[in-house]
Amino acid sequence: MAATAAAVVTRPIAPEQASLWSDAWRRLRRNRLALAGVIYLTLVVIVALVSAVWTPYSTFQVGVGIPYAAPNAHHLLGVDGLGRDTLSRLMAGAQISLIVGIGTQILVLAVGVPIGLAAGYFRGAFDQVVTFLINLFYGIPDLLVALILVFLLGPSLTNIIIAIAVTRWMDMARLVRGQTLSLREREFIEAARAAGAKPAKILFGHILPNALGPIIVQATFGVPAAILFEAFLSFLGLGVPPPTPTWGGMAAEGIVTIRISPAMVIAPSIALSLTLMAFNFLGDGLRDALDPRGRR
Amino acid sequence: MTPSTRADAAKRLPAPILQVKDLQTQFLTHDGIVKAVDGVTFDLYPGESLGIVGESGSGKSMTALSLLRLVPDPGKIVGGKVLFRDQDLMQISDEEIRDIRGRDIAMIFQDPQSSLNPVLQTGFQIAEAMLAHKKATKQQARQRTVELLKRVRIPAAESRVKDYPHQLSGGMRQRAMIAMGLANAPSILIADEPTTALDVTVQAQILELLADLNQELGTAIMMITHNMGVVAGLCTRVLVMYAGQIVEQGPVDQIFENPQHPYTWSLLKSIPRVDALRHERLRSIEGLAPDLLRPPKGCRFHPRCPFRVEKCLTDLPPLTEVKPDQLAACWVTMDRAKKEMGADQLLDIRPGAASGLEPGKIIP
Amino acid sequence: MFTRGTLIYIGQRLVLIVLAVLGVSSLVFLGIHRLPGDALFSEHLHGDQYQQTLHHYGLDRPLWVQYVNFLAGMIHGDLGESLVNRGVPITPIVLREMSVSAEIGLVALIFTVGIGMTFGVVAAIRQNTWMDYVLSTTSVIGYSMPNFVIATFLILVFGIWLDNFTQGTFYFQIGWPGRYGSIGAIWLPAFALGFPYASIVARLTRASMLEVIRQDYIRTARAKGLREAVIMVRHGLRNALIPVITILGPLVIGIITGGVVIENIFGIPGLGKEFANSILNRDYNIVIGVFTGYAALVGLANLGVDLLYVVIDPRIRY
Ligand SMILES: Nc1ncnc2c1ncn2[C@@H]1O[C@H](COP(=O)(O)OP(=O)(O)O)[C@@H](O)[C@H]1O
Ligand code: SF4
Ligand SMILES: [Mg+2]
Repeated sequence: MAATAAAVVTRPIAPEQASLWSDAWRRLRRNRLALAGVIYLTLVVIVALVSAVWTPYSTFQVGVGIPYAAPNAHHLLGVDGLGRDTLSRLMAGAQISLIVGIGTQILVLAVGVPIGLAAGYFRGAFDQVVTFLINLFYGIPDLLVALILVFLLGPSLTNIIIAIAVTRWMDMARLVRGQTLSLREREFIEAARAAGAKPAKILFGHILPNALGPIIVQATFGVPAAILFEAFLSFLGLGVPPPTPTWGGMAAEGIVTIRISPAMVIAPSIALSLTLMAFNFLGDGLRDALDPRGRR
Repeated sequence: MTPSTRADAAKRLPAPILQVKDLQTQFLTHDGIVKAVDGVTFDLYPGESLGIVGESGSGKSMTALSLLRLVPDPGKIVGGKVLFRDQDLMQISDEEIRDIRGRDIAMIFQDPQSSLNPVLQTGFQIAEAMLAHKKATKQQARQRTVELLKRVRIPAAESRVKDYPHQLSGGMRQRAMIAMGLANAPSILIADEPTTALDVTVQAQILELLADLNQELGTAIMMITHNMGVVAGLCTRVLVMYAGQIVEQGPVDQIFENPQHPYTWSLLKSIPRVDALRHERLRSIEGLAPDLLRPPKGCRFHPRCPFRVEKCLTDLPPLTEVKPDQLAACWVTMDRAKKEMGADQLLDIRPGAASGLEPGKIIP
Repeated sequence: MFTRGTLIYIGQRLVLIVLAVLGVSSLVFLGIHRLPGDALFSEHLHGDQYQQTLHHYGLDRPLWVQYVNFLAGMIHGDLGESLVNRGVPITPIVLREMSVSAEIGLVALIFTVGIGMTFGVVAAIRQNTWMDYVLSTTSVIGYSMPNFVIATFLILVFGIWLDNFTQGTFYFQIGWPGRYGSIGAIWLPAFALGFPYASIVARLTRASMLEVIRQDYIRTARAKGLREAVIMVRHGLRNALIPVITILGPLVIGIITGGVVIENIFGIPGLGKEFANSILNRDYNIVIGVFTGYAALVGLANLGVDLLYVVIDPRIRY
């Protein structure tokens, strides 16, 4: 008896899990929209990296072109009101979007996963408090809270990431809690428990690996949500302070002069929308791939 | 009704009100074609009460739904005629068949819980049936709804009209369904296992109600059931279905007394009887209902039939007249089985047991 | 429809909303008053004048006294005075702006639900046809577009290109006349505000409609001889709506908060425009007031959604 239990303990992943990943990869590759998303996002990452060392013109320097100039051979996406090159700023703007999107998700994972695991596994009073908090945060207007937080903390890249994470941690916590609740009843977890494994080992060694699929999907959907938030904040003038280029900020500047120079607002709008779309298609693809029985 | 008047009623039949000819309904599935209804032919006479029996999956519901062209996807009616008032219901336009549904031919279903819309008032759902065919003004429909509810013996009908289905008991919901079916005084009411989901006492009340309505209103009733007892209590004629086909039909008394198809015989044998010996009561059909995706060759019943002979394995028996008014599709028939195979004394009813053509003796 | 129990429930919810509003504004109050510097940052005042102003607003007293005064004011519905425009009471401003935000939010919600459900139903009825695929893909595009991007394109197309193209004979008004705008002015902002959520409603409606049209009562409705359109709308949609209402709560919050951006783009004098302005002007009292207004608006909207359940689903009674 003890021997069987021990054998189970050394196999932290549920039996059906092993082939799941290769199956998922096969399914994902067949999803054309998700694949297009991956390709586009790779491009965005490359652009963001390149822009850190090279852009056609300086991102900050004013007067490199005639203010409000329409797209032309020298300035492919035109020039903004201060005479800065829109393409260069658009490229650099990808950095902020990606940093905020991914940074927020790292924070959300760091907070939401342990909370969700603990609430689902230990249940009881802790779970009740967590559930209450989750519902509370779902009931409040997230954007407004983020705005107030940025206002209180002061607008900086770090504070923006913190503010967005504070309003979105519960997506992950709720998901992980639900997964844990159902996984903890499965035989291989029971066996591990019977064999005397410590809670931390069970949670991180057994439950977490099996909840990984849904977590990845959730995180993938979380990135565009955070990028969108940052764009809103920047659009309202509470994002990363100027002159650092952000897509939301560029759109805000551009929309004022939309009659004179539509390219100023169109360029960041399209870059932003495509990025969000790519993440959402990828998320959809991942969900279908990782959870074949899933909704849709 | 005494047995003799019932038999008389079965004989003095006027022209049929509904004629079904070689009806075929199939489901196109991933695994192949499921022949849910496979060449069903029968007549329904005005004011009669016709039973359709057969075990679950034998195609009773699909036969009924086909008549009104209500077969769910991926089902398709692929052949046959349904003649009603000189028109073929399978050929008329969508709009024409829609107008016949609920007006001339009404249908009620097994589970009154799920068959009533949970978010609409029960009374409204009944009135709606009238309004759909412009049979009444809103005012009249409302009035008639109360009358109908009284008619199906729902107490305090006036106040019940406004109730939602979840506020009614199971029996009352089925009464409301029947009221809905009768709303336009149809000439045919198809009842698909209307009592299966109900308690035994409520079942009896509903059957009594249907019998009375049949008598009083002259509505022809097609009663679908898997329960021979229900047929005995309500119907004058019966069709027995097996694997999408009719295997026996005729007057109820005659068939109960003298079934000719081994399947009907075993269905009747399996009705629990107070006077029956214990082993006799346990004697029911063995084996599973056939897979309609790959129906057995020859007689579809042969894998379960104690009386099967060589011919049964290869040739499909046609539905032929075996007695006056009684048709059966069997190469052997029970008369012969009784005479030659001692069917009456049979205790072992495994396939081929009586004829000696047991499973081991069949060359595949 | 609304029984005595429902009325009691509404009463309880209203009490809860008041408590929540008090809690939220207290948090913001305390948060703001813990900020370094002081509330008169933007006034550039000196010496006596500065002291006088501090005293006028009670800012020279200990924080807890200020807080008690604030709470006392709140209970009487008094949100205090603007710090930038001295002597201007905030409560009437917030109430007025709440009504403007509610107006635009409501029209946006009508767009969201109207467009979303139409698309969802069509996609469900035409399941697995090209129409279904186009609508499903459009819906991802829909919720991937921030509302200001949609606003941008609407302004470009209807405000500028259409104007230029028809040489001014046909165009959509961009801007916001008067307090409540005009019928002509409300379409574009409301559409921009509601459209991203319409795609979410469409997805959900599609899924729930597919579920509903397989139900037995739909077969019953067909057997009665009802017309297909009547079956889909009266019997199908009504039931398909029930799961859709579940997301209406978060959706209304999304629309209300999205209003901050849209009101600023179109110059709509609602809570959102005030919110952004007061934050940028550091008019702390108005920030608190506006946030209080938002808390009330969200609370009331959520209550409205919960009451919708009662209207749609007779099985639900509070
Ligand atoms: N949706 C479906 N897909 C495939 N086959 C079906 C479907 N619905 C019914 N059938 C087939 O039709 C046969 C007859 O069903 P039905 O008429 O409902 O039986 P009954 O009412 O006698 O219990 C079933 O045995 C099944 O094989
Ligand atoms: S005897 Fe033959 S034909 Fe008759 S039911 Fe049995 S198998 Fe079918
Ligand atoms: Mg059936």
